Amino acid sequence: MIMKIVDVLICGLLLGGIYALIAVGLSLQYGVARVLNISHGELIMLGAFGTWSLYTFFDINPLISLVICGPVLFLAGFALHKTLFKSLLKSSGSIGAFEGSSLLACFGLLFIIQNIAITSWGADIKGYSYLSVPVNLGGAIFAANRLVTLAFAVGIGITFYLFLARTRLGKAIRAAAQDPAAAGLMGVNINHVLALCFGFGALMAGFAGVLLSMCYPVKATMGLEYTIIAIIVVVLGGLGSIPGSFIGGFILGIIGSIVSYIEPSLSLAAYYIIFILLLLVKPTGIMGK
Amino acid sequence: MCNMHVLEGERVTRYFGGLAAVSNVDFYVDRGEIVGLIGPNGAGKTTLFNLISAAITLKSGVIRFKGEKISGLRPCRICKKGIARTFQSVKVFPGMSVLENVLLGSLFGAPAKLSRADARAEASSLLEFAGLSEMKTVPAGDLTLASQKRLEVARALATRPELLLLDELMAGLNPTEIAGAMELISKIRDRGVTVFMVEHVMRAMMCICGRIIVLHHGEKIAEGTPQEIAASKTVIDVYLGEQVYAGNQ
Repeated sequence: MIMKIVDVLICGLLLGGIYALIAVGLSLQYGVARVLNISHGELIMLGAFGTWSLYTFFDINPLISLVICGPVLFLAGFALHKTLFKSLLKSSGSIGAFEGSSLLACFGLLFIIQNIAITSWGADIKGYSYLSVPVNLGGAIFAANRLVTLAFAVGIGITFYLFLARTRLGKAIRAAAQDPAAAGLMGVNINHVLALCFGFGALMAGFAGVLLSMCYPVKATMGLEYTIIAIIVVVLGGLGSIPGSFIGGFILGIIGSIVSYIEPSLSLAAYYIIFILLLLVKPTGIMGK
Repeated sequence: MCNMHVLEGERVTRYFGGLAAVSNVDFYVDRGEIVGLIGPNGAGKTTLFNLISAAITLKSGVIRFKGEKISGLRPCRICKKGIARTFQSVKVFPGMSVLENVLLGSLFGAPAKLSRADARAEASSLLEFAGLSEMKTVPAGDLTLASQKRLEVARALATRPELLLLDELMAGLNPTEIAGAMELISKIRDRGVTVFMVEHVMRAMMCICGRIIVLHHGEKIAEGTPQEIAASKTVIDVYLGEQVYAGNQ
């Protein structure tokens, strides 16, 4: 019995790492760029399909795909903000109006990206096997790829946290998150910083997609579930907090793992119950102010 | 060259809906001056500052800085050209440390790019200048109002401005803190920075301003030395009378 509990907990942590990464991405896009990116999961799906294609057709190691899919999605996100969201921001009278119109635009993006994925990769489930050798972790057996996934998720999270804390650009991003108008008046090129943030959000989605594809099957309609998880984790951890996203991700991962152990089809319902309880009890999240 | 104004506005106008927040205002600020901008609430003082710093866009009229048209530029460009400001309701970055707040100014606002070490050294010396060096690592949101206002001054100075716009630096401060703020402003002028300030604390304005501009309903109704303003009948009617009365309560 105790073995089983440890097993479920570790499983939750492995899942939580990816959830955290997804949430960090959404947190950047919504917390700084003020775009509630409903198509975030679609970017994850693109990362996953990209990795699958590179592995299947060109025999490229999925870990190398991290440095291919990540930057490509970063550029796509950056370009998307520089064109679509920048002009929406210009034409919206207030930040509230922008949040509304950008949300609608993201709904459009969701369908466009999903349909393109279905036409190019088909609607059926794809998968590949990479590092699926079993590893014995204190008696519990896990596939090596899941441990690699967790290690990379935590590594990417820590790197990005240090980037925000230590670098010049990181300071600008944090300032823009706290008060965009004041940051602009202090010489920060706000439009550029917002586009970079949206790009970094897409980068995180890309990384998450690459890592996910190593352990889970990939399909064109997989995105929405991850978008919902990202939104729940962001609310759970507190908007804009990277440690919060990781704490939230791990909590949700563990809860998901426990619920799936009892009844797999209930995990998304359990996430929603947590989400609603949280909105009622502590809407600012664990690390939120 | 010598008699060119540092800052100059011509027929500066901005409507909000049908309301003229600032209407046909001509103004100038010369190098080394401390110029005061006064007027009742809603007179358009902060709007004028917002127009100069491009926090809101100027639709009609022109603003020039050192002879060059700056209206139409984005806020970050204007900051780099040498105009910095503080805010009526403080806008520090609450989650960042005091030092980081100032660093942001030197890293992004300064006309020339600074090395990290130089920026850090300059930020430290500015915090000392503003009397905040003991609070370097404190999150800015935890400071008292008076300290947050000083932090805004330090952050603005970090962008190496030639002109500093101070928007109600003394509002909400107690008499001791006001005295401190006045001293700070004189010290800023002594560093060679020109000061254009909005303030409601009239005694302070009379002491430190070389010249005062009075706005009322978005229009300029008077301009002159503090003595001339204090003696102007128009100004007393719309503004000073009310202020003196309020002060005696």
